[in-house]
Amino acid sequence: MILLKNKKRSASFIAALILEVLLLFIVIIINIPFFWMISTSFKVESDVLAYPPKLIPSVINLDGYKYIWTLVPFARYFINTVFVSVSIAVSKIILASLAAYAFAKIPFKGKNTVFYIFLGTMMIPMEVIIIPNYITLSTIGWLDTYWALIIPFIVGAFSIFLLRQFFMQIPKDLDDAAVLDGCSRIRYLFTIVYPLSKPALLTVGLYAFLSSWNSFLWPLIVTNSDNMRVIQIALKALQDSWMIDWTSLTAASTIATVPIIVIFFFVQRQFLEGIAITGLKG
Amino acid sequence: MLNKKQIDNIEGWLFITPPLIIFTIFIFIPMGVALFISLQKWNLLSSMHFVGIANYKKMFLSGHFWNSLLVSLLYVLGTVPVSIGLALIIAIMLNQSLHGISFFRIMIYLPVITSMAAAAIVFQYLFEPNIGYFNHILSVFGLPPLQWLNDRHQALIAVIIVGIWKRVGYNTIILLAGLQSIPRYYYEAAMIDGASRMQMVRKITIPLLSSVTFFVTVMQIIASLKVFTSIVVMTEGGPARGTDVLPYYLYKNAFQYHKMGYASAVAIFLFTIIFIFTLLQFKFGEKKVHYQ
Repeated sequence: MILLKNKKRSASFIAALILEVLLLFIVIIINIPFFWMISTSFKVESDVLAYPPKLIPSVINLDGYKYIWTLVPFARYFINTVFVSVSIAVSKIILASLAAYAFAKIPFKGKNTVFYIFLGTMMIPMEVIIIPNYITLSTIGWLDTYWALIIPFIVGAFSIFLLRQFFMQIPKDLDDAAVLDGCSRIRYLFTIVYPLSKPALLTVGLYAFLSSWNSFLWPLIVTNSDNMRVIQIALKALQDSWMIDWTSLTAASTIATVPIIVIFFFVQRQFLEGIAITGLKG
Repeated sequence: MLNKKQIDNIEGWLFITPPLIIFTIFIFIPMGVALFISLQKWNLLSSMHFVGIANYKKMFLSGHFWNSLLVSLLYVLGTVPVSIGLALIIAIMLNQSLHGISFFRIMIYLPVITSMAAAAIVFQYLFEPNIGYFNHILSVFGLPPLQWLNDRHQALIAVIIVGIWKRVGYNTIILLAGLQSIPRYYYEAAMIDGASRMQMVRKITIPLLSSVTFFVTVMQIIASLKVFTSIVVMTEGGPARGTDVLPYYLYKNAFQYHKMGYASAVAIFLFTIIFIFTLLQFKFGEKKVHYQ
């Protein structure tokens, strides 16, 4: 009897081991492009053109990074991208939390109707309204400015929705106590609700930062000068230029990718749980 | 002196004013404007000229439009079943996994957070016919090399592969959350009744997961209909319009040929298809839940 049990246990141990190995294998396959991206960014030309392709560079070569940081004003693109993404993330946290607070806690006329109309904005793909928005921005003279890159994204229905769900969990007793103490709504929001909602606010900020950092279609259309270029568009421009090689291109791609991956490693738990809860945006 | 109710009304509306303004200027009005421009002939420089539904007629008579619609549909058909199927398998495996689940979750999600432009450049290198890694893999299995991005049909397959790679992690995480919400005692009861592992997957997991699967499928269809960046970076719609998906066709007509009226008609068409899928999600998404 004991023998049978042991046998069963070792069989399930082997099954679990096989499962882990398989998962590891899948994860490696999925991440192969990253290995190639990073390794190619350090290769010399003979390694890039080698066949069969070499994953490990024979010597470490930094020319690709030097090229894009010096010959191309990549530092400018990088700063532009950071500036735009941070501005959007900060303003989204503030403006979305104000609206979310109103939807969660203030009984005002027309609340439900407005809330559903706001939610409805998520159903409208950017592709469809891009021509009118382009015309609006060109009419007010905002094309090729930071305004064009930032203002349309300073608040979003998704952030409002996510924060509202979170604020609704704050117990009503706390609201009532604050009212009795004569605490104004703005003060209540900043001193009581904010500290309680750190994970949700962080998630909203991160989503905003990430989608702004990676956005492509919008900056492609509303900017064209070198001064206003963001990294994603710079990648496309680099790729179109004649004097570019795979080493510099992958170096630029690495710079465009690694900051995001590093941030993600620090905050992945909140991030992945946020997605699992809302499941609304990818 | 204002009473409590009036203060609530004022404060409530004040707090939602910023999004109200932004959405009005950049979403609500543009929806109407898009429809309006689609009825005009306009190249940005000339004055607008009302042409009724001529742009729509032109669109439905255009071979290039039908080509783009077909390419988009093939892209959807190529990406959706594979990325949902793979995600389902990986999610079920992750759900059984005892160790390292959080590590695997992170690693599977990396492509989702990566910029598509950067990924597309790297894939272009991997798809390179002479020095690329994919042809090397084929040769290891004794298969002939492919032309990938240089061939009309293979290019579509290449961008489909990139599309699947980019989203499989998102689908996995959502499906995994769905799996984790299935109560353990269902499986325990089935185990007592002597059900095999495959039977449990077929009789418990798949039916109980149907609403989540439906959700990720619709989201994947919508995302696939909107594919743009990988096309711009990898193929620019070519070769021979083989990857000229609808969003790219729309972009080219609007911002390269400046046919704003015609491009708006394409935009309205694209919106209609996407909207139908969104409505499907709203209508059937909740009702298909099999568990309470």
